[in-house]
Amino acid sequence: MNYSDLLVQGLVEGCIYALIAVGLTLVYGLLRILHIAHAGIFTLGAYVGLLLTNETGSFAAAFVITVVAVGFFGMAFYRLFYEPILDKPPHVALIASIGLFVAMEEIYRIVFGATSISFLAPPLKDTVEVAGVRLEEGRIAVVVLAVVLIGGLAVLAGRTRIGIAWRATVSDAAMAESFGIDLARVRYINFFVASALAAAAGVMVALLLNQVIPTMGGVPAYKALAIIVLGGLGNVKGTLIAALALGVIESFGTIYLDRVLDRDAIAFAFLIAVLMIRPQGLFARR
Amino acid sequence: MLQLDRLTCGYGPFRAVTDLSLEVPDGSVLALIGANGAGKSSTLMAVAGHVSAMDGRILFDGADITGEPARARVRRGIALAPEGRRLFPDLTVQENLTVGGYSRSRRAEARNVERVMALFPRLEGRLTQLAGSMSGGEQQMLAIGRALMAEPKLLMIDEVSLGLMPAVIDMCYEALGRLRDDGLAILLVEQSTQRAFDIADTVCVLESGKAVWTGAAEAAREDPALVEAYLGLAQ
Ligand SMILES: Nc1ncnc2c1ncn2[C@@H]1O[C@H](COP(=O)(O)OP(=O)(O)OP(=O)(O)O)[C@@H](O)[C@H]1O
Ligand SMILES: [Mg+2]
Repeated sequence: MNYSDLLVQGLVEGCIYALIAVGLTLVYGLLRILHIAHAGIFTLGAYVGLLLTNETGSFAAAFVITVVAVGFFGMAFYRLFYEPILDKPPHVALIASIGLFVAMEEIYRIVFGATSISFLAPPLKDTVEVAGVRLEEGRIAVVVLAVVLIGGLAVLAGRTRIGIAWRATVSDAAMAESFGIDLARVRYINFFVASALAAAAGVMVALLLNQVIPTMGGVPAYKALAIIVLGGLGNVKGTLIAALALGVIESFGTIYLDRVLDRDAIAFAFLIAVLMIRPQGLFARR
Repeated sequence: MLQLDRLTCGYGPFRAVTDLSLEVPDGSVLALIGANGAGKSSTLMAVAGHVSAMDGRILFDGADITGEPARARVRRGIALAPEGRRLFPDLTVQENLTVGGYSRSRRAEARNVERVMALFPRLEGRLTQLAGSMSGGEQQMLAIGRALMAEPKLLMIDEVSLGLMPAVIDMCYEALGRLRDDGLAILLVEQSTQRAFDIADTVCVLESGKAVWTGAAEAAREDPALVEAYLGLAQ
């Protein structure tokens, strides 16, 4: 593998991290909840996407249905588990979230079995050459999706009335409410968007690995946590940069740090190193 | 318009305001004055729906709104420029105004932005600037403008002049005068008794959460020592 290969592979990984971590940072920014169960929602997306593809034969249709359906699932999840404990101190939601994540993994094990499931006919497996690098179509799709979905989110947040209401609510919920913004609605939209993005990441990871297992959310759970801390909790731009940086660093790390560190440990080494130099994360919280 | 009927409100078991009755008739201005911690901001926040009433009633246009959420009150026509302004600093001036007019239609928004610009020409040409990067005076104008975007019948302003230069204070009061002349009812909190007496129809002095003197602003203007004695008691 040469440098451009490593860079491109790293950016693809980074796009997946970004799709997962943006939702986590959005939930934190709005509600100050560390939503660990977000990784369970990611796994749900992977299962639903894979099973629907096998059922319908159309990956594209399965992808769209999964993203929307899991988005709604995220809203219900918020309503059932977080809304009742919003006025409790933050550690209550954190503990609930960890418990929910563990429970979700167990439910997946019971419902879908402990062994991995694969695509009957793995889609997007052909390779094409882009700028001298041979890439699987699935990896290109990851990058395109990340750009389209996160770009779409930026347009929503920056240009629409509901997007402005959303940012106002993040900034000062009581004031936003006193001008007529429905906080419950903003929170539902927030969970829809976060969960839909996580589901998109889940389906794409299922595609790239061609397998889904109940525990596949474990590693993304802690990496996404490291990413949003590095990005400055609640800061979406910082989160995107930290996600891409981690993807690239891991990619090069697998070559240069192979003997010293496991790939999945790099995120924490990176986190510890950055926090020693900049305790506020790479980017200050906004 | 607004009527407080023996309102008691506070935080947890603590009473910040006790048995407060006052009235702001259509198109009139009431100034709440009092020492630090007297309960002025708490009163405004209770009317806006951010501090819950423990006893008594809040009536607006004859309707009992005591238990209504803040969101419903703005639709009825109550808007607040709060203590410390509490703008959305990461949002632009235009976006702050958009939020202010969130309870009204999009069409009304464009019209109301024009009105706010006419009232505060200083804000013109700054629509794309981040609210947090403006001067204190501009921020106060924006806080008032944001409240006006909601097309209120009652405008509440907490600490109109705090931290502002006299010239900027003049601009704000000139704007408030024009709004009053247009028929808007105003409930304001003011540290400067002189300013309060000049614009108000009625003055209410709070001390430790209780109204200790309520009367016509004329009486206060003619004999400021009378009112200031009450303020002095509290200090
Ligand atoms: N969020 C809060 N939680 C608990 N107590 C509060 C809170 N806000 C205000 N208080 C208390 O309520 C009382 C009245 O406060 P309030 O802010 O209404 O006074 P104020 O007249 O506006 O004073 P100032 O001139 O300093 O703004 C004070 O004793 C204050 O400590
Ligand atoms: Mg106050």
